[in-house]
Amino acid sequence: MLTGRTLSARAASLLLTLWLVSALIFLAGQVLPGDVGRVMLGPFADAKAVAALNKQLGADQPMLVQYWRWFSHALGGDFGTSLSMRAPVAPFVLQSLGRSAALAGIILLFLVPLGVGAGIVAGLNQGRWIDRLIVLAGVSFGIVPDFVSGLLLLLVLGLWLNWFPITGAAPDGAGFWTSGYYLILPALPLVLNLAGYLARMTRAGVIEALAADYTRTATLKGLDRWQVISKHVLPNALTPTIAVLATQSGYMLGGLVVIETLFGIQGLGNLVLSAAKARDFPMLEAGVLVMATIFVLSAAAGDLVQALLDPRQRRRASP
Amino acid sequence: MTKRNEIDSLRNMSGDIWNVAVDEYAKGYLKRRDLLKYAALIGLTGFAASQGLGFSGAARAATAGGTVRVGLGQPTKAIDPVTVTDPASIGVLSQVGEYLILDDPKDGLQPKLALSWEADETAKRWTFKLRPGVKFHDGRTVTAKDVVASFERLVDPNSGSSALSAYKGILSKGGAKIVDDETVAFDLDQSNSNFPFYVSSDVYNAVILPADYAGDFEKTFNGTGPFKLESFRPKQGATFVRNADYWGDKALPDRVEIKFFDDEQAQVVALQAGQLDVIPSTTRLELAIEGNPNFKLLSVQASSHDAVHLRTDQAPFTDKRVRRALALTLDREAIVKGLLKGRAIAGNDTPFAPIFPSADPSVPQRKQDIAEAKRLLAEAGVPNGFEVTLTTERAYDIPDYAVIIQNFAKKAGIDIKLNVLPQDAYYGSATFGSSPWLDSNLGITDFGHRGTPDIFLNATLKSTGAWNAAHFKNPDYDALLVDYGKARDLQAQRVAAGKIQTLLLDETPEIISYFSQYSRITSTKVEGVRFTAISHLLLDRVSFVQA
Repeated sequence: MLTGRTLSARAASLLLTLWLVSALIFLAGQVLPGDVGRVMLGPFADAKAVAALNKQLGADQPMLVQYWRWFSHALGGDFGTSLSMRAPVAPFVLQSLGRSAALAGIILLFLVPLGVGAGIVAGLNQGRWIDRLIVLAGVSFGIVPDFVSGLLLLLVLGLWLNWFPITGAAPDGAGFWTSGYYLILPALPLVLNLAGYLARMTRAGVIEALAADYTRTATLKGLDRWQVISKHVLPNALTPTIAVLATQSGYMLGGLVVIETLFGIQGLGNLVLSAAKARDFPMLEAGVLVMATIFVLSAAAGDLVQALLDPRQRRRASP
Repeated sequence: MTKRNEIDSLRNMSGDIWNVAVDEYAKGYLKRRDLLKYAALIGLTGFAASQGLGFSGAARAATAGGTVRVGLGQPTKAIDPVTVTDPASIGVLSQVGEYLILDDPKDGLQPKLALSWEADETAKRWTFKLRPGVKFHDGRTVTAKDVVASFERLVDPNSGSSALSAYKGILSKGGAKIVDDETVAFDLDQSNSNFPFYVSSDVYNAVILPADYAGDFEKTFNGTGPFKLESFRPKQGATFVRNADYWGDKALPDRVEIKFFDDEQAQVVALQAGQLDVIPSTTRLELAIEGNPNFKLLSVQASSHDAVHLRTDQAPFTDKRVRRALALTLDREAIVKGLLKGRAIAGNDTPFAPIFPSADPSVPQRKQDIAEAKRLLAEAGVPNGFEVTLTTERAYDIPDYAVIIQNFAKKAGIDIKLNVLPQDAYYGSATFGSSPWLDSNLGITDFGHRGTPDIFLNATLKSTGAWNAAHFKNPDYDALLVDYGKARDLQAQRVAAGKIQTLLLDETPEIISYFSQYSRITSTKVEGVRFTAISHLLLDRVSFVQA
């Protein structure tokens, strides 16, 4: 049963996790070679100019002072100014988060029907050829890394067949549908990669639910097979699947560096990567913090959904 | 016209200095292109035009219109002419920004915002006449005030300018002066007969900006160039449209669409899918399009090179015989053919690339000679060779080059261990004492193209040079460098250069075994793409082949 106490304890641990992440990132930024002034002025700049800039940016202050300044500003939503883009960080992070979310949305749009559908079919036909085929296909696609399938799909669907544009970034002023269309090709490698896993999770849930007592009871009550499956099997079978999906969504919002790079989508993963390359600490800190927040939140959401759906964890009105 | 007549008419154009060059051209020592470069250098502007030199590929009347679609890498930071360092940003800047002079790889110095220039007797004061009536995209007229402010900004150590190292010892704050609205003078720190190159596109930061420029370039892209900004999306790309008020020939294309790519593979796929017309090139990409009739590989010879420095103040390289021995192990022709696929020319262990007219071509080329290398090592007291660590950066073809050097050195018993670092770790803070580049015993560093050897000669080999990774401190060399800077004509320059080249071959503080070409890949549908070896991309003469 969900109580206020467990929820507040969760929230507290969530905040603690995020604070620890912020401190760790900050620390990592400090031990990287090179300093802020040098980063901004480049390797050939005059040492005097670098020192002057460091002073101006407060980069010559003790680490704790710098961390406190960053942390207190971040609490107010001000993530500072990007060193490389010379503009406030927040809009950049928001925009790239939006692009990552669009990509994740397209992935889920294909992934959920395909993965869950295949899983249900496999589970209901346990041991038959269709089941074996689905499991085998899922495993096969699952072991191909996304940068390999991404490149292959790019060559086949984009270059040879010309079905899709080969960049994920739609041109200026593209509408909703066009932008979505541009994201289909980048989404496919992930769909292929994750569908098998999702199908196996669903299949296991279905098989478990089919063998459960409540299913037998429902069947004995004389309900027809379809009612049994829709009312009793699926709600129980899908609980672990939904938890997995929630966690995967966290990964999709920032973990897709390879795909974003390959298809030129300026998402969160790409933002963090290029910020790291340019040693753009404010951008890196903000990007990683947002990523970590999403990870933690989506994991928490997964737990919550599971708790809500799990018959053992909710009060159920008697039928 | 016949060559004979041509030479007589050339002679009538200027004084003795010019005639030395003309004589050389007549005798066939000086290539026509170098003659043109030289003409431009001594201010014989309009000479190239009088020679009926059109642009390459302008044989047919080019048609106007169309959109040129360009793929570039991802700019590393906000685009600003003052701080720019990366090739992608230079490619974007070339659409809107212009220089006093363009150093064209084919035709040498071309007057742009400057009409003509001349030096005084000492080559310490240079005066530039500006082109009248040139307008910035915001409608304001370019005056001497803007030009002086542009250079003062670049030599100000607190502006974040990345041109400081280029102007070090040449031009300091207060050196650029307004003479009148259309004339600018530069008082240099020391004589320099190559100064026009320093205000040309070779110093890619030297874009002429309004005097009141405040560092917010990405908002307006306000320059004087043939295209002006339509839209810019950071990290995504930019579009430019023809500037109808351009001072020169109006751009042929209606628009230029630039897209930034994080990944070179994606770039070449986009080109193959017909979604791009022009992309930068790398050795790997060249393999991808080789033999494909839909694409062209365009190259210009450059002075870019990967210098191998040998620390002259540390064992084992304190003895110049040991340094020479290592240089003698390399088979340069094999490196050019194998590593660089023939898109390079052999170097002779000095920064004087064959493309520089001032280089002395009579200095003999160093060739592989293992027997001589072994003899020198024995003479230096290390007959069985020695062990040494080669430190370098993981960038371009350099790691492969390091392995090649390692293999050649083995032939003379020199055992090289490799230490390959990420590029930024290798550069470190770029100051002595905290930079593997400047501190390592033996290292390889990439140097981009320059229009003159000056910056290589000064920064990497002079006793006080900021990039002197070889820690080479040789008073004779420093003195010869001063002579070279003072030389007012090609012959005197070449005499001074010959002395420097001979001294460097004898001392071998660094090994330069090749000078690479710079390439771009274009679709065969476009004609007239021009570029410089330092990533400028000139698209105003581009036209589309009518199928």
